Amino acid sequence: MTQDPNTMSRRQLIRHSAWFGAAVGLAVVGGEVISHVAGEEAANRAAARPTLRFAQVSDSHIGFTGAPNPDVAGTFGHAIDQVNNLGYTPDFVIHTGDLTHLSTSDQFDHVKQMLGGVRTPHVFTVPGEHDSVDDAGQKYRSVFGAGTRGDGWYSFDIAGVHVIALVNTLNLKKLGHLGTDQLDFVKKDVAGLSSDTPIVVFSHIPLFAMYPDWGWGTDDATQALSYLSRFASVTCLNGHVHQIFSKTEGNVTFYSGTTTAYPLPHPGDGPAPKPVTLPAGKLHDALGIREVSYTKGQTALALKEATLQ
Amino acid sequence: MKFLLRLGLAAALAVSAFSHAYLYIHGYQHIPMIGTAFLIQASVSFSLAVLIVAGGPWWLDWAAAAMAGGSLVAFALSRTIGLFGFSERGWDPSPHAAVTVAAEVLCVLLWAGGWVRLPRRRPVPA
Repeated sequence: MTQDPNTMSRRQLIRHSAWFGAAVGLAVVGGEVISHVAGEEAANRAAARPTLRFAQVSDSHIGFTGAPNPDVAGTFGHAIDQVNNLGYTPDFVIHTGDLTHLSTSDQFDHVKQMLGGVRTPHVFTVPGEHDSVDDAGQKYRSVFGAGTRGDGWYSFDIAGVHVIALVNTLNLKKLGHLGTDQLDFVKKDVAGLSSDTPIVVFSHIPLFAMYPDWGWGTDDATQALSYLSRFASVTCLNGHVHQIFSKTEGNVTFYSGTTTAYPLPHPGDGPAPKPVTLPAGKLHDALGIREVSYTKGQTALALKEATLQ
Repeated sequence: MKFLLRLGLAAALAVSAFSHAYLYIHGYQHIPMIGTAFLIQASVSFSLAVLIVAGGPWWLDWAAAAMAGGSLVAFALSRTIGLFGFSERGWDPSPHAAVTVAAEVLCVLLWAGGWVRLPRRRPVPA
């Protein structure tokens, strides 16, 4: 008896079935392995979820009028919308100064009202030099000074992080200045903390010498930072310079944030830090907000910069 | 020659499988339908790649080409009218989208290459 060449012998059928079975078996095993890895990955991500998340906005200059930004309230409003749409509620939002442009009561009312629209449990502020144009910060403190010490400085603890907000815009000569009272405050404030407590410091003017010729530095910051030298992680966030910049000195990392109002030139680019008018459509790229997160067990804070949308 | 084509086919399929598995692990698992589809694509493709290298029968090549072709169609749908309500733009997620498409196109081409018969040299009449 001869076999039809188009039919399959029993032996061939068994062989093909075996290959098919192997294909199904391997696919199932592969699927199991991938699912298992994916499950572990998801668990790791959940475990590594930040213990603290906050946002920074800065230099809104409410009341400014001019070609560099004809609508500072509009761009600040955009920044607030962006903070409100991060996909999570930040534990707090910090405004690092120059809330207003000329410290008028109307400008303070306006910015206070706008900050009321930020969806977060707490909004913290420090004053910029534009918030104390003619009264050494009295109007600023009457609006934003509740619960602060001295000329508006304060500290608080949140999620295991110690946060210090400093005022270095009063008693300005050329550089920012903290003064003896505030230095004493810092010294006493951190005295009882263990050295592994992460420290976050807010100020308007940089606490590092970013560009002293333009006043972008604080003359007595070294003294304040000496009280923080024993801590494993110190993160200093500032505004004032209207641009992103970072620098690390030992255990301290400094991060200058951008503005929601108008850009300033890069250090040394021109005779003075005057507002820059950008070509049409480019302004939003120079403005932005910053997200900061801290995960317990990690030394460094994670920063994410976002341009204004 | 045939063996090299099959080796290439298996390698291209494995690259596509790896990309799908990576994306599944890093977030796609949470997308309804798409997540499951990525898991099936990755596991079946891995399985086919292994068995093709192991010298399995001809229909494994067909299955591999069908899997790669189907993935390409799904990719095209996700960039146009959407797939199970899921759509993405351009070559995101980069570089996985581009790598996967290249691997799958190669996979289909190598499968088709297996059907090309090179002209046999005819014996020269004496």
